[in-house]
Amino acid sequence: MAYTGETFLGLLPELIATGFLITVLMVGVFAERSVGLVAALAALGALATFAGAAVLLAIGFSGEFFGGGYVVDGFALYFKLIVSGSAFFAVLAAARWSGGTGDAAEYLMLILSVVVGAMLLVSMRDLFGIFLALELATIPSYAMVAFDRNRRESAEGGMKYLITGVIASSILLYGMVLIYGVAGSAQLSDIAQTFSGQLTPVALIGLVLLISGFAFKVSAAPFHFWTPDAYQGAPTSAAAFLSVAPKAATFGVLLRIFLEGMPGAAATWTVVMAFLAIVTMFVGNLFALRQRNVRRMLAYSSVAHSGYILAAFAALQGQAVPTAVQAVLIYSAAYAVMNMGAFLVIDLAGEEGKGYNGLFRTRPGLAISMGVFMTALVGLPPLSGFFGKAWVLLAGAQSGSGLVYVVVGAVVVNSVLSVPYYFGIIRNMFFEEPAGVVEQGEGGFAVEFSVYALAAATVLFALFVGPLAALARASGLL
Amino acid sequence: MITTITLIIPLLGAILMFFLPDDVRLVRYAAMAVAAVPLVLALYIYFAYGSDLGAASLTQELDWIPSLDIGYRVGLDGLGFGMFFLTALLTLIATVASWDIRENARQYFAMLFLAELGMLGVFAAQDLILFYVFFEITLIPMYLMVGIWGDENRKASAIKFFIYTFLGSTTMLAGFLALGVLAGTFSIEGLNAGGGLGRTAQIAIAAPILFGLLVKVPAVPLHSWLLDVYVSSPTSTNVVLSGILPKLGTYGLIKIALPLLPQGVEPYLPIVAALGVVNIIYGAFVAFLQPDLKALVAYSSIGTLGFILLGAASGNAVGVNGAVLQQVTHGLYSALLFVLVGVIASRTGTRQISELGGLAARMPWAGGLLALGALAAMGLPGLAVFVSEFMSIMGGYTAFPLAGIFASLGIILSAMYLLYMLSRVIFGPIERPAYKEVTDADSMEMAAIVPLAALLVLFGILPGILIGVQQPAVEAVVTVLGGG
Repeated sequence: MAYTGETFLGLLPELIATGFLITVLMVGVFAERSVGLVAALAALGALATFAGAAVLLAIGFSGEFFGGGYVVDGFALYFKLIVSGSAFFAVLAAARWSGGTGDAAEYLMLILSVVVGAMLLVSMRDLFGIFLALELATIPSYAMVAFDRNRRESAEGGMKYLITGVIASSILLYGMVLIYGVAGSAQLSDIAQTFSGQLTPVALIGLVLLISGFAFKVSAAPFHFWTPDAYQGAPTSAAAFLSVAPKAATFGVLLRIFLEGMPGAAATWTVVMAFLAIVTMFVGNLFALRQRNVRRMLAYSSVAHSGYILAAFAALQGQAVPTAVQAVLIYSAAYAVMNMGAFLVIDLAGEEGKGYNGLFRTRPGLAISMGVFMTALVGLPPLSGFFGKAWVLLAGAQSGSGLVYVVVGAVVVNSVLSVPYYFGIIRNMFFEEPAGVVEQGEGGFAVEFSVYALAAATVLFALFVGPLAALARASGLL
Repeated sequence: MITTITLIIPLLGAILMFFLPDDVRLVRYAAMAVAAVPLVLALYIYFAYGSDLGAASLTQELDWIPSLDIGYRVGLDGLGFGMFFLTALLTLIATVASWDIRENARQYFAMLFLAELGMLGVFAAQDLILFYVFFEITLIPMYLMVGIWGDENRKASAIKFFIYTFLGSTTMLAGFLALGVLAGTFSIEGLNAGGGLGRTAQIAIAAPILFGLLVKVPAVPLHSWLLDVYVSSPTSTNVVLSGILPKLGTYGLIKIALPLLPQGVEPYLPIVAALGVVNIIYGAFVAFLQPDLKALVAYSSIGTLGFILLGAASGNAVGVNGAVLQQVTHGLYSALLFVLVGVIASRTGTRQISELGGLAARMPWAGGLLALGALAAMGLPGLAVFVSEFMSIMGGYTAFPLAGIFASLGIILSAMYLLYMLSRVIFGPIERPAYKEVTDADSMEMAAIVPLAALLVLFGILPGILIGVQQPAVEAVVTVLGGG
């Protein structure tokens, strides 16, 4: 197999990220005290990776490498942008925190490893490649969750995440092996030959196990129970990053598996996805309603939002397929900006719901930003979350399937159901008097900058949604 | 262009508020100055183009999401112009009537202007998605205005308001998206007469859209959020909340549901007409029982919204004309009454009807204008509401005779409770010694009251001013409905 210049160009974002990963680690070893330097390097790495992917997208690069097992197309590059973009903000948020422990470099290196894994993931066209990339993205994330050694919750969350994650990986691998056994190949294009029409029992079991494994990874109910503990224990930057970047990439590769690997079996997996979506939405929202801790609330909220994205998967049928693909892409981007922003506010205002009382009086800018994130998560226009939900509803309306109409109805009901907990925060910030002692978060200037930048992105998303939709349409998956 | 400029001014005003020093008087005058600009522009549009608003004019179109044919499309037509004007007017009145906003005035006016952006936008939108975006932009500012500056019950009222109307509007959004994606465009003009959709599809899509609009109005079984919100709000918020917000629902009915889904709404029109009558009768009966003056005005307001539903559901030129006109006249009289309730409560310290009395002696101006507002509310000939209610009933009677008869009964009922209210509050002996000291409305309050009263008289005598503008657009809607 010849490695041409084109191969290196296709791998440009991954190569940049890997290069910076090694540099960050080395600089960290030899210059232990220079936290600022490693943080700047890691941030630069994330930006350079973003730029690399953006350049490839701009020149319309596409190609297959490694015997067709690895593909670079608009679809993959789109997710690489989301992953590296959110990594940039995660690095900014992590810089100050990890400085205290003296091992900033390791933590930042973990972020970049997740970036490499998640970026490889969306380009894989081979089941085992997918598994490897997924593990490459997941294993560093266990360490990220458990990184805050001074807090017991961090170790506990990391442990729970590790155990459930390993079980999920085994289930996923088992499913992949069964699919491989039925299809006789791990390449998605070969699997598509076998997986069409009525599935054999073994194929069906393989499919269900595969979906279950992925359901763990995207915290879809009933496989979501690790999420609140992991996100509560994790450093804020880790929770913020893991809830958007690897998740978006996982949704991306799931889309690729379904559309390239088993389009003929759509009748089967859309039904599974429909039920998964409905259960996930309700579980996420109903549990989020009971939370007083903002971190846990956002963790359950992320479960609910996985449900909304899964609803788009249920609509992947008939003439709705392009719209449903667009829905996943746009939702992932919209969710990345609003959810990262909401998580990062925790570093500035604390994680107790009561701590937000009167924030509008004491720190109006922060309160307005958090208000923007909460409103966007509800799905109000013209903020980013609205466009995600609107596209899901659009796809549902186009699909022409009764079951999908039920899913769409569930999306509407759940949007309303989510109002009380998001608006509970807004109520605390705007309507309540400030508490006697205001708990100051530990964030610094970098976190504050990230929050305001993400709030601006959430508000201005409406201006970019047109080009984004065009991009999503031309993503090359269809 | 002028439409977009009018929309941008409130947004700039909201931003300007954050750069002002924290001085209540200065902020209030600045807010009045900002609020006056859209009103002046609306008046200019009336005199320059008022006779030519049959179809959407002064339009502007920019690509937004071309792959779905969603665009920034704005323009004014006869259906929307009246409310466009009223929004600009009532926002100005709300800045004048903001005497009970003493804290965080800058933020209050910023919210008010954001809400104005949404409201003006709804009446100018010529694209379904844009319509929905503007429709929802009003929600957060209104939620915060009630929740921050309202009375002790404000927090519960605010969230109730939000959840109810959000439920309605999300349902409506699902209908909009289905309509647009099936027809291949979101342009309101392109969707005229169903955009090529068959009868069954139209009926299915009309259901969620009508539900969402009727919650917004609110039509009676869906109205339970309204009373708390109205009663909790400061006077200035009441002006907008009662004068404009319900019209987002009724305007959506006339601008979107009727002409875009002519076959789809047809089976539901009798229900809408019935709900209108229920609003009229129920509002009147419940208003009669209210011990609180503000609650009485709130139910009176719900009641007379019923005429809009009835007129719109009639589907004939007289009824729809009446409905479009009633949107404006209802806004004028309900804003007037809410401001006067605020004035009276600020003087006497109570809104309980049983504790008030004989105020005409001490407050001749406020009392006299309260009488004028109440007479307008009961549809006295010579005042603006009479014309629109009469037309709505006439149109309603032609389409649904029984509904027309019951609706006219509603006028008698409303006369009963309003006269009873007047006799208790204004006339009779002064109930309490303390009220001997109360003063009449001051000049600032009069500045909020008099324009509303004057317009009620003006439009009562010369309704042609408004009907002339809306007539061609109404004819177009009726033609689509009849030809559907």
